[in-house]
Amino acid sequence: MIEIGHILAFAALAASIVQAVFGLRGERQLAGRAAVFAFVALAISFLTMIQAFVASDFSLALATKHSNTLKPLIYKISGVWGNHEGSMALWCLVTLGFGGAAAGLMRSERTKFEARALGVQGLLGIGALAYLLFASSPYLRMVPAPFQGAGLNPLLQDPALSFHPPLLYLGYVGYSFVFSLAAAGMMEGRIDREWAKMARGWSLAAFVPLSIGIALGSYWAYYELGWGGWWFWDPVENASLMPWLIGAALLHSMIVTEKRESFAAWTALLAVLAFLFSILGAFLVRSGVLTSVHAFAVDPTRGAVLLFGLVIYGGFALGLFALRAHKLTGGKPYQWISREGAMLTNNIVLMVAALTVLLGTLFPLMAEAFGRTISVGEPYFNLTFTPMLAALLLFLPVVQAWAWGKADVAGWLKWAGAGAVLIAVFAGLGVGVWDISLGAAFGLALAVWLIGGAVWEFTRRAKTFARVFKMPMRVWGMTLAHIGLGVFVLGAVVQTSAKYETTLALPIGGEGEAAGWHFTLDEVKAIEGPNWYADRAVLTATKGGTKTQLAPMKRFYPAARMPTTETAIYKTGTGDLYTALGELRNVEGEARYVFRIYFNPLIDMVYFGVLLIALGAGFSMWPRRKAAS
Amino acid sequence: MRWLIAICLAATLALSGMAEQALADPKEEARAQELMRELRCVACENEPISQSAAAIAGDMRVKVRELVNDGKSDADVRAWFKSRYGEFVLFRPSGKGISGMFLWGAPFVLLLLGGAIAFGASRRGGGEAVAPIEPEDI
Repeated sequence: MIEIGHILAFAALAASIVQAVFGLRGERQLAGRAAVFAFVALAISFLTMIQAFVASDFSLALATKHSNTLKPLIYKISGVWGNHEGSMALWCLVTLGFGGAAAGLMRSERTKFEARALGVQGLLGIGALAYLLFASSPYLRMVPAPFQGAGLNPLLQDPALSFHPPLLYLGYVGYSFVFSLAAAGMMEGRIDREWAKMARGWSLAAFVPLSIGIALGSYWAYYELGWGGWWFWDPVENASLMPWLIGAALLHSMIVTEKRESFAAWTALLAVLAFLFSILGAFLVRSGVLTSVHAFAVDPTRGAVLLFGLVIYGGFALGLFALRAHKLTGGKPYQWISREGAMLTNNIVLMVAALTVLLGTLFPLMAEAFGRTISVGEPYFNLTFTPMLAALLLFLPVVQAWAWGKADVAGWLKWAGAGAVLIAVFAGLGVGVWDISLGAAFGLALAVWLIGGAVWEFTRRAKTFARVFKMPMRVWGMTLAHIGLGVFVLGAVVQTSAKYETTLALPIGGEGEAAGWHFTLDEVKAIEGPNWYADRAVLTATKGGTKTQLAPMKRFYPAARMPTTETAIYKTGTGDLYTALGELRNVEGEARYVFRIYFNPLIDMVYFGVLLIALGAGFSMWPRRKAAS
Repeated sequence: MRWLIAICLAATLALSGMAEQALADPKEEARAQELMRELRCVACENEPISQSAAAIAGDMRVKVRELVNDGKSDADVRAWFKSRYGEFVLFRPSGKGISGMFLWGAPFVLLLLGGAIAFGASRRGGGEAVAPIEPEDI
């Protein structure tokens, strides 16, 4: 089976070469067919890999290293991409998938342009497949085949983590096709209204899964690692945040190019950078220059190859940009105080925010080169990244209504007054009543400002209630996404400023107080799962009339010889009561279990906000009604 | 590596948290906790001592409280840990020297630079003869 897969991967490589050559020569039909063939071949090849994992065929070296007969089915499947080689195969699959989908879906008049875009996508496919087949092959056999495999990293044996990599890759690699469109557009010197209309859908198609993928990863880190937080400014998280920020900037600049034909060069540059930052992320994570949970195959050689690819693709695209940028001008004139000016400001801040994340992530590496070991963590980002974005969001409700070309700002005093009153009210409440910091009070005001502003803008455009349901999907999308930002800010501010954490050591039958709840440790039992055994504690928590049971676990996976924490969370409606089981310890001559207990208020809003952003972006993909324009 | 820290956590949770007494003054305790969030656990990877469960992180927390209790300022506490464990221990890197100024200044310089370029771009074609157009769908 796997040999068939191996051969098909080579067939996909051959088809990608055909796609690249004929695509770049402008032959749309042939390039399209090659793209579809390449994708189908690699998809079947990928299925043979899944089959080997599901059937526990340990003659496949990859399955031996990363699978196990006792694993539940879902983790046998997700084990395919839960390792370096398999995840690179997934990367290839998504690259070819976008090529194949584009071949089928693109129906513009510009066949030559489409062919070139497919050609560039073919080049990206060749690079990815060559890397897969010659530098990290997942198809290798193992003789003799062992009876049992090592199993997947237990931390990754989790439902959220099964879908996190495919979604993230749909996002990262989705930008590969945006890259190809930009390269093809630059070759023709044409990044115009038509180009933006085509490319917008593809960049949304990458942005939506990227958003959900990041949220899933964050949620996993929240409940699996047992630290009670949702963002740690870990290099890996930063690596996914950078393309997201650039992708968000791109969505906005594309609108200007579509509506006004301005910003063409800038849009092309962002389109290229979104994918380059995705590769950079893969390089940072895979090369081992930065350590993280994702470094399951730290290998400097592979890192070097990725870096080489980054330099080649980056040099190609940026060189093309340098040659053609002067041609990408035009568009309608605008003043600084205008919709264009607002979008440009948005772009600058998002871009600088992405570069700040890059600087903070790479600075320790740069310092190390000079013989200094430096850490850059949360305090740095809280003092640079966060105020930058907060300032940007402060202006969002105001500029949403601005006209193209030149905005009417006669009503600015009303906006400033409303904003000032809102901030004053929250500052008063925050410091006087809720006892939170001034910064947190400002954050809450910002959340309300964003949500209210988005709703206000929607009603302003709808004018009457009857028109609400006739509003274009793009307006719905914009409104939902901007409300989502507000909801996210609300969750983030409340969780960080009002969370509660403590430790509790209880003997069996013991009682204690934490986070306003009364805890009783009923029992701790040894239990067994399909491929793990665990100590499972049962805590009864009561507060007022509410009573609930929480069963945090400490699991041990014998195949990987590794423990994991399985937290237990009770959703109170206003937040998460979060418990994690620690070790048994002798305190004052008595055996006690140590628990970490958190109360995380409104933490779900963090994730709900991001989902709203993704949903809004999804709505924006809806094709426009012809009659409306 | 994150999973290493998770092991670290699972294995040593018991050792921390227990011997630690919060400071009597809630203001001082809050200041101590704020400091714990910006000091790096030297045994685990990329984790502040406020979250880490390693034994050394527990000792470091005790030390932070001790220093705060002795009336030391935030800067004094940071300086003490820096002299003991090196710059590595500070999650809030120093802004002194050329590299520090670069790290802390670059984002804001970039912001100003970007703003200036964008402002220039808007002046180029603009002028006064611009007719405002209401955004129809987005």
